[in-house]
Amino acid sequence: MAKFSWIERLSVPTYDNEVYATTGRLRIDHDRCNGCGVCAQICPGKAITIKGEGKSKRAYLEDEFPQCMSCNDCAAICERDALTAVVAYDFGLYYKKLNRGGFMPPRSY
Amino acid sequence: MEHKKGRVRVMDETATVESPEVSAGTAGDWNPVERVILERRSVRKYKDRQVPENMVRRVLEAGRFSPSAGNAQPWKIIIIRDKAIIDEMERDIVRWCKIFKFFLDWRTSALGRTIPWLLAQTSIRVKRNQLHPIPFGAICLIAEGKLGAFHGAPTLMLLLEDRRGVSRPQVDIGCCGENMVLAAHSMGLGTCWVGFVELLKYGLKWRRRLGVEWPYRICEGICLGYPFGTPDGMIEREAMDVDWYEDGAMRTVVQGGDDGKV
Repeated sequence: MAKFSWIERLSVPTYDNEVYATTGRLRIDHDRCNGCGVCAQICPGKAITIKGEGKSKRAYLEDEFPQCMSCNDCAAICERDALTAVVAYDFGLYYKKLNRGGFMPPRSY
Repeated sequence: MEHKKGRVRVMDETATVESPEVSAGTAGDWNPVERVILERRSVRKYKDRQVPENMVRRVLEAGRFSPSAGNAQPWKIIIIRDKAIIDEMERDIVRWCKIFKFFLDWRTSALGRTIPWLLAQTSIRVKRNQLHPIPFGAICLIAEGKLGAFHGAPTLMLLLEDRRGVSRPQVDIGCCGENMVLAAHSMGLGTCWVGFVELLKYGLKWRRRLGVEWPYRICEGICLGYPFGTPDGMIEREAMDVDWYEDGAMRTVVQGGDDGKV
């Protein structure tokens, strides 16, 4: 389990500095994506934009500081399984995550 | 069904669970309740069609039978099915977000950079949950008009907290709300928790209009409606470490992992 140092406990990250923030990251399969835009509409962080015209429309993660919280709602609503979160969000210092690991699907025991 | 004072006895024997012992399942082997829990996703786009009244009443029943500390049931629920009221609430939430953004967002504020930065650094230490980076980003998105608060849902449930409740009333409200959310999803409805209704308690306007007086306080909101598309489905989530004490030893178990005994 990760530990807090006293410096981290007392330091609050500033949100405009990407040094202190790992936002969520998506893997988008552009062969499957048809740019329908449902994911962009439901994204709670508005981290997905649709770029391109006509048939070349595709979903892209925002280049500059995407506010993706890796909720995977986009993965659930996408009918073509074109995208999924691969990096979890983690703000540094005071807000760093302590005991979260990688992504796992639900599993029955 | 035979109704006795204080309890309802189910006479239909087939309705009882066959065995309390759950056998080890194979992958994808879930009972209906687990399936609803695992497939529930927050719904952020709704159809205009209003939810029938009887379905809302059924959802409310699920909340009535949720656990609460000392059976205090420290909640009051307000149902709003008027589009005009929901729209007005949304406008007021946007207004509050604009005010907060003006004072706290040092990147864009007209006050310059130094003053909002100092204000943000001070207030984040007082309200560390409300000003966590995620809601801070959401405040900015709502103020800019990019993100909606109620996502066009036709029905809104406001959960008020009774501040005299036993021990931790907000936990009980979480239990009540989640019961209702899961019941709603099992009927094919969509829901989304809206914490931003908290902003409505700042002015007198909504407290007067909805009659929210002591001991009640606006705590949470839940949107309810028919989802657009098919947002429910199983996804991957981060697996957390669980400390497991047994047989005089401690081991770390990863949720969803295959380490340790099964």
